[in-house]
Amino acid sequence: MRVEYINPFVEAAYNIMHEVLQTEIVRKDLYLKKTAQPVLGVAALVGLAGDVEGRVLIDMNQSTATKIASTMNGEELTEMDELVMATITELANMITAQAVTKLFDLGFKFDLTPPSIFTGENMQVSNSNVEALIVPLEMPQGLVEINVAIRERM
Amino acid sequence: MKQTEEQTRVDFKMITFTLAGKDYGIDIMKVKEISKATKFTFVPNAAPFVKGVYNLRGDIISVIDLSIYFNLQNTEVENDGIENMIILRLEEHVIAVIVDTIDKVVGITSENIQPPHPLFGDVNIKYISGVVENEGRLYVIFDVERIFGNEEPVEPINTADFRTQESTVSTAVNANKEDVDIGFIEETLITFLSFHSSPVNQVWIRNRFEAWKKQKGDNIQLVNEHDAESYLAPFSSPFSGTFWSNEYAEKVASFLSEGHTGNFYVWNPGCGSGYESYSIACMVKNKLPSVHLKIVAHDNDLIRISTAPGLVVPQSSLESHYDRFLTEGKKGIQFNKEIKDAILFEYHDITHDNTLPKLDLVVMRETVSYLVPDRQNYIFGVLDEMMKPGSLLVLGANEEPLNPDAWNKVENSGVAAYKKK
Repeated sequence: MRVEYINPFVEAAYNIMHEVLQTEIVRKDLYLKKTAQPVLGVAALVGLAGDVEGRVLIDMNQSTATKIASTMNGEELTEMDELVMATITELANMITAQAVTKLFDLGFKFDLTPPSIFTGENMQVSNSNVEALIVPLEMPQGLVEINVAIRERM
Repeated sequence: MKQTEEQTRVDFKMITFTLAGKDYGIDIMKVKEISKATKFTFVPNAAPFVKGVYNLRGDIISVIDLSIYFNLQNTEVENDGIENMIILRLEEHVIAVIVDTIDKVVGITSENIQPPHPLFGDVNIKYISGVVENEGRLYVIFDVERIFGNEEPVEPINTADFRTQESTVSTAVNANKEDVDIGFIEETLITFLSFHSSPVNQVWIRNRFEAWKKQKGDNIQLVNEHDAESYLAPFSSPFSGTFWSNEYAEKVASFLSEGHTGNFYVWNPGCGSGYESYSIACMVKNKLPSVHLKIVAHDNDLIRISTAPGLVVPQSSLESHYDRFLTEGKKGIQFNKEIKDAILFEYHDITHDNTLPKLDLVVMRETVSYLVPDRQNYIFGVLDEMMKPGSLLVLGANEEPLNPDAWNKVENSGVAAYKKK
């Protein structure tokens, strides 16, 4: 993935998570994953188009998702319901939008698709010929992985 | 009770069929469809087990007779030459195999698959993934990916398979003390520096060993990372990881043929902090001013590559031929927009899938030697596929291509490169 894209996504993910959860976020080492990869359980997906093609996946397990949604809504949620999904979707939207804004300032034009959310067990995601950059964020609610796969148009 | 429990845990399904009266199975995930056909188009001079080719709704696929392939007694076909075909979808291609009769789909629990017994006579053991019993019948399960896929059956020798086996055989025969010593050194280089000995660098490793022996006397073993580094120190090429000198750049440029127009694509895997990528950009711009240059520079070291796009250069370190590409920026002296726009730095692991345009130049110095032999093979496969005929490959000064037959070596006073045939 183009080097210039990495920082905006890392910063946006960190800033937004810190802002909405008001808690300490630990960013672990970034790494690259091959194309097919398991998904933790709840995955919010935002497609990217424009100068590039690709997608951003915000990935966490169900317990983390409910805990994050609880914090963001200021009430105790216990199961994966409509509200939890809507909250996680919004979170994905905020992170991607902020990253895209930062990228726009650097001169890269991206368009977003509306976020969609997938839940289930034993899921895999695969993009042909694009490897994914993983930004793992550790917080009291659990682990959230920002999974970015972007390819240049050539 | 046990029966139902097992039935619920069916996690492996296979298509079963017979060959010379015995039962066999193939993993259903590998089977695209089954079909009957006759009148295959004969292919002259093909191996005897290749029945010919068959037109499967527009796709031409090869048809292989399994009983001939495995040397089994071929039963006569009764119904007017109509053959039972299983069409397999392998990782790389689609082929059809002819069997005697196709039986049914059998679902089993993969735990019940027994490993093949070494005494299996009629079919070579490495092509069998196991044996399973179901309803009183014993099925031998074929590993079709191994039989027909490009995947090589696992061999005990993990040397690169581009070279003939001859050299490995002869080394094994003369396994004297020296070979053992070199073997130890090669192991240590993997451990400390993940440097993998292979035909890419074997000539150098041997020569270096002679020099090392003279220098160290009896005490030749590498005991720590420092030793390993000093052993490898002479391996690096001139101007490795730094800006190329004018002289060096001109020698490399002399291999590029004049008269290029249009797009000129370069791949620079293992670009590190980008010094070499900028050197390549300036070299190509000087030599071929009219081309539209695009360099794809890859590295999997995030810290080093992240500084590359905005590299600030101490001007004193640069020779005059870089001058016209430099500009005074806010942070200091940088390369100008023309050069920056020509280079795309990507954080990428080249052992994963590589998406590249058709390439005119590849500069990959001291990069493949640090990959495991299997991935070295993969990278040379990528080069084979993506480099245009007549394009140029620059390896490290002490490296050679794995597939020497595919290249013409070109030299200019001490600097060598490879032109693709």
